[in-house]
Amino acid sequence: MKGQIRDNRISLWQLFWTFFKTGLFTFGGGYAMISILEEELVARKKWITSQDMLDMVFIAESTPGVIAVNTATGVGFRTRGVLGAVIATIGVVLPSFVIISVLSYFIRAFSQNTWYRAAFTGIQACVSVLVINAFVKMFGQLERGWFSAILLAAAFDVALFTDFNVIFIIIIGGVLGILYTLAANAIAKKKELPLSQSDRIDNESDDDRGAK
Amino acid sequence: MTYLVLFWEYFKIGFTIGGGYAMLPMVIQIVTKRGWLSEQQIIEFIGIAESTPGPMAINLATFVGNTVGSATGLGVFGGILGSLVATVAVVLPSLVIIIVVTMLFDKFRNNKYVQGALRGIRPVVVGLILSVVVSITAKVVLPDLNFKDLSASRIDKFNWISLLIIIAFVPLSRIKVKGKKIHPILLIVCSAVLGIVIFGAFGVQQ
Repeated sequence: MKGQIRDNRISLWQLFWTFFKTGLFTFGGGYAMISILEEELVARKKWITSQDMLDMVFIAESTPGVIAVNTATGVGFRTRGVLGAVIATIGVVLPSFVIISVLSYFIRAFSQNTWYRAAFTGIQACVSVLVINAFVKMFGQLERGWFSAILLAAAFDVALFTDFNVIFIIIIGGVLGILYTLAANAIAKKKELPLSQSDRIDNESDDDRGAK
Repeated sequence: MTYLVLFWEYFKIGFTIGGGYAMLPMVIQIVTKRGWLSEQQIIEFIGIAESTPGPMAINLATFVGNTVGSATGLGVFGGILGSLVATVAVVLPSLVIIIVVTMLFDKFRNNKYVQGALRGIRPVVVGLILSVVVSITAKVVLPDLNFKDLSASRIDKFNWISLLIIIAFVPLSRIKVKGKKIHPILLIVCSAVLGIVIFGAFGVQQ
């Protein structure tokens, strides 16, 4: 994949409208949006290939921010540069902005209503279920091993029982990850052992990609 | 001034890796610490953000921004300005980062520092989400329990009906009908109806 694929056949308006629709019809987290985008951008419009889509999801997941918005920014930038990135981002965010702005007033007006409170006692239980599901999904995608297990448990304890700032917990995790990876690489080199099977397969597939 | 604080806090939240759910621990910590919303309110807002169109985290940012802005005394305009500030702030870091990373994609993908950092950040983010699972569930079932100060907590108020709803909904949210999971919006609507029937119509104590 090249860093940039500009395609001037796609107008800024098309870009805006596509992401506006996506923002309007997506509910929940970014993962729901990715399947919609795949259908819309790869299968129907053919703006990008499915490999581009995979790369984009990888970038969206491994960089800061909301995954759905990151994907919009990425597609916008790839098709129409910086302006495209801004337009696609505005498109995907605008439906939320309008709907929630209107809704906020009603919700505040109703917040002491008995029936409203009854409904939300039910909804709170459901929110807890949805967060449980998000956890199960992300846990399933995690690399297995003692390093992950310790970091997970430590982050959980610190976040639940102390007031320690969450952003520092994440930064410390990142630093430990770098140190762990560097140490693991150094040990592997020192022993002059060949890379593990899975690493080698990864490298080969990366080389293949480079060759294309 | 309020808007500057709002911008700064949401700008920091915008740097969270792992998507909308990964942002929740930080959002909850900030809004309660700043006194913008109670823990009860933010859980309600998450429910609304889940069941309205658009990415959950963006909906939540718009919501928080609107509430904070409306409290500044500027009325409707204040609310809209607050929404705008929070939404722009949360999107801004990723907008810049995505553009740079897309340009340098191949270098980024194979960079050992990036890979290493992600190796550490991923389990931390999952651990943080687990802490949200526990604190939200506890808030719903045992409203007077406080994990930050266990000695001052009381556990005599126990919402067993909410616990039953959670236990019933976990398998319900995972079963597949014709290869598709039950839509989260449908689950939220069902839970709202259950709430109205149980706590409203039958007047069960909440």
